[in-house]
Amino acid sequence: MNLDYRARRKLWSWVMSGLTAACAIAILIPLGDIIYQAVLLGGPVLSVSVLTSNLPQPCSPVNGIVCPVGGIGPALEGTGILVALAAAVSVPIGLAAAIFAVEYRGRFLGTAISFTADVLTGIPSVIAGVIIYAYFVIYDPLVVFSVITGTLALSVIMIPIITRTCEEALRTVPHSVREAALALGIPKWRTTLQIVLVSALPAILTGILLSVMRGAGEAAPLLFTAFGSRLGFQGFNNPIDALPLLIYNFAESPYQNWIHLAWAAALILILLILVASVLSRLAIQRMVRRMRGE
Amino acid sequence: MDPSTLSSPLPRPRKGHVWGDRIFGVLVAGAGLFVIFLVFAIASILITQSRLAFDSYGLAFLIGTRWDVSHEVYGAVPFIAGTLLTSAIALAIGFPLAIGSAIFLTTEAPRWLRGPLGSVIELLAAIPSVVYGFWGLYFLGPYMRTTVEPILAKSLGWTGAFSGAATGTDVLTAGIILAIMVIPTIAAISRETLAAVPVAQREAAISLGATNWEVTRTAMVPYARSGIFGATILGLGRALGETMAVTMTIGNHDAIPTSLFSQGQTIASLIANELTNSSGPLQYSAIIYAALILLAISLLVNVAARLLLWRVLRVTGGTTE
Amino acid sequence: MKRQTSRTAMYAVVAIVVIVVIVLAGGYAAGWFKGSSSSPSSPGTCAPPAGVTIKGAGSTLVYPLMFQWESVYGGGTAVNYESVGSGAGITDITQKTVDFGASDAPLSSAQTASLPATAVTIPESAGGVVPIYNLPGVPTLNFNGTILTDIYLGQITSWNNTALQAINPGVTLPTAPISVVFRSDGSGTTFIWTSYLSAESAAWAAGPGKGTAITFPVGSGQAKNAGVAGYVQKTPDTIGYVDLNYALNGGIAFGKVQNPAGNYVLASVNNTASALKDANPTLPAGTASWYNVSVLNAKGAGDYPITSLTYMLVYQDLSGAYGSALTLTAAETLVDFLYWSVTTGQSYSAQLYYIPLPANIVAADEVSIATLMYNGAAVPNSCGSSV
Repeated sequence: MNLDYRARRKLWSWVMSGLTAACAIAILIPLGDIIYQAVLLGGPVLSVSVLTSNLPQPCSPVNGIVCPVGGIGPALEGTGILVALAAAVSVPIGLAAAIFAVEYRGRFLGTAISFTADVLTGIPSVIAGVIIYAYFVIYDPLVVFSVITGTLALSVIMIPIITRTCEEALRTVPHSVREAALALGIPKWRTTLQIVLVSALPAILTGILLSVMRGAGEAAPLLFTAFGSRLGFQGFNNPIDALPLLIYNFAESPYQNWIHLAWAAALILILLILVASVLSRLAIQRMVRRMRGE
Repeated sequence: MDPSTLSSPLPRPRKGHVWGDRIFGVLVAGAGLFVIFLVFAIASILITQSRLAFDSYGLAFLIGTRWDVSHEVYGAVPFIAGTLLTSAIALAIGFPLAIGSAIFLTTEAPRWLRGPLGSVIELLAAIPSVVYGFWGLYFLGPYMRTTVEPILAKSLGWTGAFSGAATGTDVLTAGIILAIMVIPTIAAISRETLAAVPVAQREAAISLGATNWEVTRTAMVPYARSGIFGATILGLGRALGETMAVTMTIGNHDAIPTSLFSQGQTIASLIANELTNSSGPLQYSAIIYAALILLAISLLVNVAARLLLWRVLRVTGGTTE
Repeated sequence: MKRQTSRTAMYAVVAIVVIVVIVLAGGYAAGWFKGSSSSPSSPGTCAPPAGVTIKGAGSTLVYPLMFQWESVYGGGTAVNYESVGSGAGITDITQKTVDFGASDAPLSSAQTASLPATAVTIPESAGGVVPIYNLPGVPTLNFNGTILTDIYLGQITSWNNTALQAINPGVTLPTAPISVVFRSDGSGTTFIWTSYLSAESAAWAAGPGKGTAITFPVGSGQAKNAGVAGYVQKTPDTIGYVDLNYALNGGIAFGKVQNPAGNYVLASVNNTASALKDANPTLPAGTASWYNVSVLNAKGAGDYPITSLTYMLVYQDLSGAYGSALTLTAAETLVDFLYWSVTTGQSYSAQLYYIPLPANIVAADEVSIATLMYNGAAVPNSCGSSV
């Protein structure tokens, strides 16, 4: 009887273990299928010329027509420009805000900043696009769809992320390091920039990398800002394409060559994310090793 | 502002340094204030530009059930309903799966598997929303239409929740896409809180002869409860505001969904579809009003989630340790 | 060791900053910072001069054709068109954020009233809409306006309806109920389709009416052409409607529709083009309202009945366009592009399954374009792509 009860409990435990494992497997299925389909459909199209060529004219292979493959050059260029500019705007601001929150700790304002940044990371990305659009449509309607607004919209998304990740990074630097530097009479700003910041650099770079990847994959804020364009970079006051926009615009078109390019763009985004996550993991490992003094 | 203070007593810096410190302090404080300013800027832009719709409808906008562009009648209920319904589906499906895998990752999985599996789940969070939408449009939607929805209609059609034609681009498909997208958020943070359960807590349960599952159920989950709750609310926040994937799978129909097979529209997808394509200032203003509602909901949800999580994980900004 | 690593990292950061600065400086030299509107104006030179980019926005229906035009005209960089949707095209031209707008539906009187200046409506192409259906074993099916309206009103509910059977002799129609599919998102396709249903039935005109997004009495919605076509193709017993160019591009089968001459016509570019010619509507002046212009139900024996014009919109005085900052050079380029698109540009229509404009509409367009001004004076068309 007693044994029976125990066996039942054991069995129950096994069943639940199995269930949790099933959960873990279940959530991997969509990931697997997304990557599989992207490789299957985007893979054959992918080539060096696809990365650099202009968008092809729309075409479907009906009645034996051979369609031009074209490429996603303008979108790739656009994503690069937008993300680089957004990083240039948001890294200094986000990093400085993080320094304030961590190095000037104990103050109400520091806590408030961390908290605000945390909450901001949860605000829907589409809102970032809305506010930039809504502002410019009134105050400078000529640049509503442009590199400038696209950059600003991405910055609104990236600043809080960078603030949060840099904060975490700075917090890993032991107090003793700061105290030692200050005890040597090194002023606080130099301590922060040359010692604390540098010690935390791998983690900071990881955070920046993550925010950049997030920016590179965002389509919603760019719908009303960068907008997308057939041409490449045409000046800062003109619209520009981006990979996620291209996917959205081409996904629902009837043209076979456009749909294939959209898959190729999806595959590139996925690959970029894989590479970035591996890179960031390596950076973290290196940092951990270094902090252990190896 | 005198930033040159640290809790421990230190020798006064030499005079030349004071200015450097001051300037530096002002700069970083300015950046910090800018982050806070952002929230107010976002809110004030939305408030000023939704003014026209607010003047026309007031709070009745929140209970207006019609969104009829040709008759210039705008009410937010179809989108609030669509947003809440898809998010509810997302949590109903996503929550058990996420918690299950978080438990698997912290207690059940062999040690060598935990790291890689954790990374893969995080990767799931990093895939762009538009890629999920693309996949939903081409694979999940058709699969729902041909396989899942007919089965649901047959077996559960009597409930009324699964009535109407099985189209594959509907509230249910959007909800499932959202479930896939919120799982990594919920799983990753739940895992963190589960891992933060003190070893003594587990050991105590084990020493009482508890089975593996009993340890999890009695010693770990209750301890991590508020963290899991916070993670779930955070997941909810992501589901509420998700745009691209929903826009590509929900069918974009400005009406209150009558069943899970109805086409609908969330606030986010409304914005994506109609903001730049509005037929007049009133519609534009009404869309911004809807955006303001979305902002308010997501601020509320995120503040709640963060307050919970900060307490649990003790990662507060100003007062660590 | 530790110190060295941090140094290296510092250098890396410095290097990145330097590279960014160099790239930006190079970009500045290469003219990145200059936009279309800031380029110096040099009247008299043949458009399009380098550095001038005309911005347009609007209809998604016409996007593939515009894409083709943009790619070909003026070396491929003179025009940049954004397919934001017809409504947005009208909003953008109203707010002067673009040089020209494009819309599937002509301006309504309310939209005209909200324009800050007189606008000119220029039909630039046309499209057809076709009924698509999925009945296994029924490769061809005849429809007429009454039956289509009754199906979409929910008055004909099953496929073996006697009226439908009567116009499809010899076809074995199933007893299955008809499931109606419509576009859930706002679109020019719905505008054309519901304009046709309104023309065919007083009940439809008085009830659901015509518009880009209307409330359909029965059926389920699908987003975009792709959604409607994908759903109908995969679901038996359904009926829907898509753009002719979408159906032809995707190799999607569609039904024949009876025209006023009594013939059942399978839509093609040719018989829709002839319908445009035969419809021969009274064309208003460019600055007048085009709201009641209809090319539906042309009388020719072989004409396909469901078609509609799509339009470009520009301000009559171009000096007031684009934030009131359009340069004369840009205005000349715009005028030249307009001429080009309604003449030479039409030759690209057929390969993309758009309907080329008939001569009378092209002639009316040329008259309208000739009325465009810059600061009250006629815009010199030095290039003379046409005329």
